[in-house]
Amino acid sequence: MNLLESVRLALEGIAANKLRSFLTTLGIVIGIAAVIAVVAVGQAGRALLMSEMEKVGTNIFAVMADWRKGDSVTGREFSLEDASIIKIRVPEVSHLSPVSSTMENVRGTGKNRSAQVYGTSSDFAHIRKLDMKRGRYFSPEDELGRRRVAVVDQELAEDLFGRADPLGQSVVVKNTPFVVVGIVAKGDSIFGIGENPRIFIPIQAWQYLFSPYISYIEGSAAGKDQVEAALSQTIKVLERRHQAPGRYQGVSMEQQMQAANRITGIMTLIISAIAGISLLVGGIGVMNIMLVSVTERTREIGIRMALGARRRDILVQFLIEAVVLCLLGGVIGMSLGIGGAFLIAWLAKWPPLVSWWTVLVAFAFSAAIGVIFGILPANKAARLDPIEALRRE
Amino acid sequence: MIRTCGLGKIYSQGVHPVAALTGVTLHIPPGQFVAVMGPSGSGKSTLMNLLGCLDTPTSGTYMLDGVDVTRLGDVELAAVRNRKIGFVFQAFNLLPRMSAVRNVELPMLYAGVPPRERRERALKALEMVGLADRVHHRPSQLSGGQVQRVAIARAMVNNPVILLADEPTGNLDTRSGREVMAIFQELNRKGTTVVLVTHERDIALHASRILHFIDGRLVGDEKNGNPVQAAGGTGTGPHPDCRGEVAVP
Repeated sequence: MNLLESVRLALEGIAANKLRSFLTTLGIVIGIAAVIAVVAVGQAGRALLMSEMEKVGTNIFAVMADWRKGDSVTGREFSLEDASIIKIRVPEVSHLSPVSSTMENVRGTGKNRSAQVYGTSSDFAHIRKLDMKRGRYFSPEDELGRRRVAVVDQELAEDLFGRADPLGQSVVVKNTPFVVVGIVAKGDSIFGIGENPRIFIPIQAWQYLFSPYISYIEGSAAGKDQVEAALSQTIKVLERRHQAPGRYQGVSMEQQMQAANRITGIMTLIISAIAGISLLVGGIGVMNIMLVSVTERTREIGIRMALGARRRDILVQFLIEAVVLCLLGGVIGMSLGIGGAFLIAWLAKWPPLVSWWTVLVAFAFSAAIGVIFGILPANKAARLDPIEALRRE
Repeated sequence: MIRTCGLGKIYSQGVHPVAALTGVTLHIPPGQFVAVMGPSGSGKSTLMNLLGCLDTPTSGTYMLDGVDVTRLGDVELAAVRNRKIGFVFQAFNLLPRMSAVRNVELPMLYAGVPPRERRERALKALEMVGLADRVHHRPSQLSGGQVQRVAIARAMVNNPVILLADEPTGNLDTRSGREVMAIFQELNRKGTTVVLVTHERDIALHASRILHFIDGRLVGDEKNGNPVQAAGGTGTGPHPDCRGEVAVP
């Protein structure tokens, strides 16, 4: 008996008990659908995260004090001159800016709003590729001239000045007025959600208003492949200047992306594994019903044996029936999973992502479940004694 | 054709072993029509299972068509059942979900006959038993006699050397039973060896030789020089009971 006929026979058997077959394979349907949806959503999420990080810049890095080692942070890890000196000494660094920030109440035309106040150098706009909606970021001249200028993001501008043109207006930080020279787009940073409204002022002004403390320095390398060199050279210069070997640690976006990639991958794997448990349960369901089916069809098995079916023929017949059942479940589950992934992507406004290998793996997996959980019932059928089987009602 | 020597079967599943068949030595030459008679428990069904290679004897030898089948393994026995033996059962044993023609195709499926040839031969076999117009009916849509004729077509479709029938008329009315016997006699005339198990002497008298079994032993081997002719054949003619004139005293 060839494969095609076995499949036809299996389909007839499945069609004879439509409702039961459907309920039997439901576990497989749900399992495959869940795994495909989870993997698709996971991949979409990862792709989104990567693109967000890439938007910020793949060649950026930051250096901060390594507070895990020894002394607590003193506030003297960085000096204002560090950035300009490193830029001269390390050719791989294209832009570098000291960065400090704090939450503070800022006031516009009569309105108050709490915002994240950043102190940076003019390089910061280049490092983060800030999307200037209007006006400009502050310049080296602004820094040198100690001008009280500020850049606010769109959200803060609306909150502070309403519909009035914010450019040229005055924003008050800690009783010090700053002239707004630029508006930056909201949410250019990673994720862009739940972010506080932001205001940027020159680092010198920030130090004067809040504290001489510089949190970290952030920079960008000339190219993506120069990030690691730029980072290690920057740390070397800092260690020498401050006579503090081992005091600094650096992170690059490249490293962050790899870490994020790894984490989302692990998350997807874990959730898929949990969803996969339902495949196991589904497989057991298939095995259970196949065992019932063998008992019900004992007489049929006896007849087939009397007519010359070998034990192998009976084994193959029931095995193929289990595999076909699981594959049907797999195909239904796949459609549901892909549909679900597209639905979630649409609701979350993510790009839908169902890779061909997910579909292939799901298909192979459901076939494998059919074989694994079909072998026991099929074996039971093949081992029946023909005389006993023929006598059964 | 069939040659057994000291054939015996002991069932040892229960606490006490039961000897279902003891020391049966038998020779059935090709072309014979043999009836096996005996009360229930006489071992005739056990003999049938052994002759049909559904069961293996615990003692003795069994030569079928020149082959010692007691030495064969599972796979070879399946092949012997498939090619050399045709079964007809009391309970018909058709697969209820399949049409008549697909039931008849079953033995050829396991013989590896290609689909087209399978269909052709199955239709021919059904025609032979007078069911050419019922080939796509399911067993539930056929009468008992028709179902048994489908079963005979199925038994004969692989051209077996021997036809084994276990109480084939047991579930049939007299008329259908006679039709079935007529087919057996027709097949026998064309050269098929037929072994028929029955407990009804009326049915046994259709055979040319009657074997008697009691308590698992062959106790009588009776020649029947003038077998009853079931005639009429496939039920297309008038009912045999009504044929000729009814004697009025």
